[in-house]
Amino acid sequence: MADSQREQTMSRAMVDAIAHEMRGNEEVFYMGEDVADYGGIFDSTEGLREEFGYDRIMDVPISETAYLGAAVGAAQAGMRPIAELMFVDFFGVAMDQIYNQMAKNTYMSGRSVSVPMVLTAAVGGTYNDAAQHSQTLYGTFAHLPGMKVVVPSTAYDARGLMHNAIRDDDPVVYLFHKRLMGIGWLPAPDGPKTPVPEDDYTIPFGSADVKREGDDVTIVTLGLHVHRALAAAESLAADGIDAEVVDLRSLVPLDAETVVESVEKTGRLVVVDEDYRSFGVTGEIVARVADDALASLDAVERVAVPDVPIPYARPLESEVIPSTDDITAAVERTQG
Amino acid sequence: MSGREDRVAVTVADWPADVESEEGVVVNWFVRAGAAVDASESLCEIQVEKVSMDVYAPAAGTLTEIVCGEGAEFERGDTLAWITPDA
Repeated sequence: MADSQREQTMSRAMVDAIAHEMRGNEEVFYMGEDVADYGGIFDSTEGLREEFGYDRIMDVPISETAYLGAAVGAAQAGMRPIAELMFVDFFGVAMDQIYNQMAKNTYMSGRSVSVPMVLTAAVGGTYNDAAQHSQTLYGTFAHLPGMKVVVPSTAYDARGLMHNAIRDDDPVVYLFHKRLMGIGWLPAPDGPKTPVPEDDYTIPFGSADVKREGDDVTIVTLGLHVHRALAAAESLAADGIDAEVVDLRSLVPLDAETVVESVEKTGRLVVVDEDYRSFGVTGEIVARVADDALASLDAVERVAVPDVPIPYARPLESEVIPSTDDITAAVERTQG
Repeated sequence: MSGREDRVAVTVADWPADVESEEGVVVNWFVRAGAAVDASESLCEIQVEKVSMDVYAPAAGTLTEIVCGEGAEFERGDTLAWITPDA
């Protein structure tokens, strides 16, 4: 009875989805660095080893090349591995396994194998972890064909997207932002902790979510910046500017339709991304809107990380990662 | 007519054995003030010296007041919240 009033952190919602799928399908297993005894350094697997044991929640040696390759092989053999990159920044040591095998083996084999695996990875900065542990790399994964790419912003979305990811017959990259997980040393903003139903449910990929409705401007974003955009929208509302906030939730497939419909209503587009500015989400979204609704577009702004490595120093990191004030200022520039 | 003395304090029943600190911090609340709670339902997550643990409802009822909000520090034995039990 009290369940409907229960709220969950994003990490617990993810773990509940994984546990549910593991109870229902013995082919589902999880492997990664520090995922068993430690429970994931960002709580992504907290408690799973206690229920499922070391055979299904596997700590692996520090070789992403080896265990991501193993995950691809297990998936092709009919299992449903979830393999975690501790930090998305480490993808480079397994780039061939990800880019050329996971993403392409279905195609290269003439569909004689499929690769039903989930690659989970912690993304994002805002906590002074420097240039090799703070990236989001959304564009890096969304760029290459063959992978679905999802990015939850709330516990509710994280649960539904995880169920869908594990059940999907193709490789899914599931990128969770560290600051949304609800970790003691990395406090989340208000927003990611939400009520989560007890029973399982799926959120289909390619369905963006309008997190706030508004008529004056469309803010398109994902991950942590959904919450910064919502905070910006609240302060803008006090000035009489009514912002719509679209949470993409998945980059591949991309729900351009929801974005275009919103821009056709508001005429103004602000795209906010924690990834680098060039060749990324901001440019892609603006291009999609230009393709489909150029005549509706009265003003465009991009708010993203300038093309520099994420600095370690707190004031410098805060300068390059888009803030609520940066979003507010960008929206105001569209209102001329 | 129930007075305030009918309320049940939510405290950390089992302090972690392997820590020296007598202080903790509230990390997450899973229910809001005013919500109905079941006995033994997880109410919040606390941390003592990086050890995380859940705090469970000592009784079924309504979580009438949160004393220590998220991010608040407390000492061993402190009341984190109050539950008004079901009649």
